[in-house]
Amino acid sequence: MATHEIFMPALSSTMTEGKIVEWLKKPGDRVERGESVLVVESDKADMDVESFNPGFLATVLMPAGGTAPVGETIGLIVDTQEEIGTVQASAPAAPAAAPAPAAPASAAPAPVAASAPTPVAPPAPAAAPPAPAPAAAPAVAAAAPAANGRVVASPRARKLASQLGVQLDTLRGSGPHGRIQAEDVLSASGQPVSVPRVAEGTAAAVSGAPAAPLNGHGAAPAASAGKAFGRPGESVSFNTLQGAVNRNMLASLEVPCFHVGYTITTTKLDAFYKQVKSKGVTMTALLAKAVAVTLARHPQVNAATSADGGAMVFPASVNVAVAVAMEDGGLITPVLADADKTDIYSLARTWADLVARARSKQLKPEEYSTGTFTLSNLGMFGVDRFDAILPPGTGAILAVAASRPAVVAGKDGSIRVANQMQVNLTCDHRTIYGADAAAFLKDLALLIETNPESLTL
Amino acid sequence: MGSSLDAILFVAAKPVPFLQGWEAQRTLQARLLANPGGPEALLLLEHPPCYTLGRGASDAFLRFDPADPPAPLFRIDRGGEVTHHTIGQLVLYPVLNLQRHGGDLHRYLRQLEQVVLDVLDRLGLQGERSPGQTGVWLAGAKVAAIGVGARRWISQHGLALNVSCDLSGFAAVVPCGIADRPVGRLLDHRPGLSTAVVAPLLLEAFSERFGVRLRPPQGAESLQGW
Repeated sequence: MATHEIFMPALSSTMTEGKIVEWLKKPGDRVERGESVLVVESDKADMDVESFNPGFLATVLMPAGGTAPVGETIGLIVDTQEEIGTVQASAPAAPAAAPAPAAPASAAPAPVAASAPTPVAPPAPAAAPPAPAPAAAPAVAAAAPAANGRVVASPRARKLASQLGVQLDTLRGSGPHGRIQAEDVLSASGQPVSVPRVAEGTAAAVSGAPAAPLNGHGAAPAASAGKAFGRPGESVSFNTLQGAVNRNMLASLEVPCFHVGYTITTTKLDAFYKQVKSKGVTMTALLAKAVAVTLARHPQVNAATSADGGAMVFPASVNVAVAVAMEDGGLITPVLADADKTDIYSLARTWADLVARARSKQLKPEEYSTGTFTLSNLGMFGVDRFDAILPPGTGAILAVAASRPAVVAGKDGSIRVANQMQVNLTCDHRTIYGADAAAFLKDLALLIETNPESLTL
Repeated sequence: MGSSLDAILFVAAKPVPFLQGWEAQRTLQARLLANPGGPEALLLLEHPPCYTLGRGASDAFLRFDPADPPAPLFRIDRGGEVTHHTIGQLVLYPVLNLQRHGGDLHRYLRQLEQVVLDVLDRLGLQGERSPGQTGVWLAGAKVAAIGVGARRWISQHGLALNVSCDLSGFAAVVPCGIADRPVGRLLDHRPGLSTAVVAPLLLEAFSERFGVRLRPPQGAESLQGW
């Protein structure tokens, strides 16, 4: 009598998770050794997953259509028909088992800024993303080490345990049949468990920052260590997304770019943000809206050079893309389409939805590839200035740094303290000239400094 | 990569109905599953007009009633969304033991793209990949669609390269689920180009990239109807 786990297979070294397209067997079905049990899809490739053991499919832990990280248990096979009932009784039903955002292998949430020049995360602590419930709670805690002394643990849990020096046999597993999951190891080692798969500002940046954030977009990251995709001495291949970003970044070397900076006083914006954040408005939405409204009046800055370099292309709409760093590497630019014409509340909701689906890698291409202008924000890390690399097919990208109190001298010699942030516009000079960039920034600053309330109209 | 690997090459003399081509792939896949050390195989053909859907594909990308398609519609065991096959499009179905080629499905997809890029290069055309998507684009239009399926690392399905085909059939679907970019063909960049000219380039590029020596079937290796 035994229970055999079916794992999400690694179909590629660059695969971090796979989608279950179809279960070819249903719980209770007899399975022969080597028989296909389910189909997993990653990218444009399907693979049949076979059972290594003859028996019966006792339970499905992740239903068709679901996505699971590589190595995660997605089904259980038992030797005899009698065991099916036992397993089904003790294993959580499929939807409940859908593991909370599986904790990435990296131990602690950390700022993503370090590596690439554009990785960016939007601001707005207000949008505090649904912090995943602490490690699937001990609700399903089952008998600790199996009676026979064998420790049942997921492959990632084993890897983490060896990295973190946690003794597996001292843990109570929260998985099916007391199986020890990565989250259990993280909890045991005192590591935070609820790490979002996308470093979208917030949780990582805000939680536990002891010093009060300077304002809506100035919290310091709480994490202690920088992120790394490999360990010392290793050489780690880029994943698909990182490779894609690399190609895009290299393409920008063909573009004659220049940068124009501006310091914007945000005292009014910050005060206004405090008023509206209870209504679900986020700083990302406010900034995107401000940029979009200004772009609508500066179509030259919304334009791009055509692929063959022969023309200036003026898009029919203002689509503001906002760069989001992915927890497992690379970044993606979900798009707020028609941001100038969409009300701020819808923008905030749409953004939350886009980020949630970016996390689960469910975005459709048109949702991340149709930006006409890109916003890149490192403000939540306290960065005082940076410049961004121009994404191909667009004419400009705005790098937004932290808003911080500054001593400001007035023309009349007066001195006051105001919140200020630096923004830095990267432009393709073929289409956007210095005067265009300057006029756009001046209007953007005017809007943010004097009339942020208009953003909700 | 040495060229010590043999792959049996099947080139169709005339268009092959989709189901017949699929059956041939499954026969070859079953042979390799039974004998994983045996020779790999390659099918090169054109299909009469038809539409195929990957196993997880969404009907939402069909612009017609699936019960009444403008050409035969098949849901098949590959990854990816809907695509269209027709005369003038070269279809390459490699039946490989992918464990001999790195055991990495993403890498396999990239290698197939590279084969198409090599073919375009030989024609003096510069194709490109699209980050985050699978396929090959030329001047912004998708000219090659790729979708594969595997069982125990034995592959089937593969790539479709639009050479001189009528593109109107693509209008009935959202090819590969990508709505915002058009589908193209090589003929529009190299007037007079035909599948007969491109076929040997495709085989040559494949042979080089995958390090396999293509040879005709021998004895029992032949397929009925080929």
